[in-house]
Amino acid sequence: MKQKGNYIIVSLILFVVGFLVAFSYQQTNSKPKVTQLSENEWEKDYFYRQQLIDIEDKNKQLEDELTTLRQTVQDFEQDIGEEKKQIGDLVDTKKRLQILTGELPVEGEGIEISLKDADYIPSEDNVNQYIVHDRHIHLVINELYSAGAKAIAINGQRIYADSYIQCVGPVISVDGNVYPAPFVISAIGAPDVLDVSLNLTNGVVDNLLYDNIEVTVEQMPEIEMDARAS
Amino acid sequence: MWLPAMFLIFGVLLGLMTNITVPDAYANYLSIAVLAALDTLFGGIRAQAERKFDQKIFVTGFFFNISLAAFLAFLGVQLGIDLYLAAIFAFGVRLFHNIAMIRRIYIEKWEKRKIKQEK
Repeated sequence: MKQKGNYIIVSLILFVVGFLVAFSYQQTNSKPKVTQLSENEWEKDYFYRQQLIDIEDKNKQLEDELTTLRQTVQDFEQDIGEEKKQIGDLVDTKKRLQILTGELPVEGEGIEISLKDADYIPSEDNVNQYIVHDRHIHLVINELYSAGAKAIAINGQRIYADSYIQCVGPVISVDGNVYPAPFVISAIGAPDVLDVSLNLTNGVVDNLLYDNIEVTVEQMPEIEMDARAS
Repeated sequence: MWLPAMFLIFGVLLGLMTNITVPDAYANYLSIAVLAALDTLFGGIRAQAERKFDQKIFVTGFFFNISLAAFLAFLGVQLGIDLYLAAIFAFGVRLFHNIAMIRRIYIEKWEKRKIKQEK
């Protein structure tokens, strides 16, 4: 009985000892050790450190280079962007000019002016003073162009840069096609601007009315004009 | 005989598996506790060999030595003297002494047995 008690006590003590030893062993293992470096190891250490510094130096240099190259790339991209913008501008200009010359179909809001010969002609006066002449139409068209109209058509026939309008007796010839009165001049552009510029005091409409022509100006939400058929 | 061995293994395993880390300031206490434990253990073995093993002395000695060593170390820290060195020194000397005694006793026993056999 006593022997057995001894064993248990010894076991407990051994347990504690084992725990303590193992624990302190682990403790010292987990601690960062102050390593003693020999001469050789010092040299190695120094060598590797030097290498590391060199590599970091090189790294920095390369990073600088990278930054410069990125800057260059950005500059190039900016240039390309500007060129694109210029090309876009040129395309816009070309389109505008093409619309002006009539090479492109146009549609948009605009204005319609109809010119009509006077209904009542007093018998003692000259008839010529009461009908629409080509100069009236020129007047209207020039005014419309200078007010910023994109495209103009007379009775549905589009006016080009080289069109001519001519009086042939009571009718008017546009590029050889003859139209009788009333003449409907449609113009594509900002309706407000066109309207205002036509209705200026002593402007086109006043002049036409003074020449005994019946003028009506109407704003249109949608006008279509075809391109020159060629 | 297997019970103490098993407990020893258990203790070692438990010590290896615990993940508690003692702060650096208390590392001294731990080493002294280990030394005290070892000292008491070998003291017990020696007493066993001399056939005057006393359970009470053994157990009280174990815990008392450890506490004393820890107290000495604590005192040393408080006073700014490396008092724990004294404990280490004492325990070290006693450890060697105990081991030497154990060795001597067992050699004597062995020689006695040899003489008996020769007779």
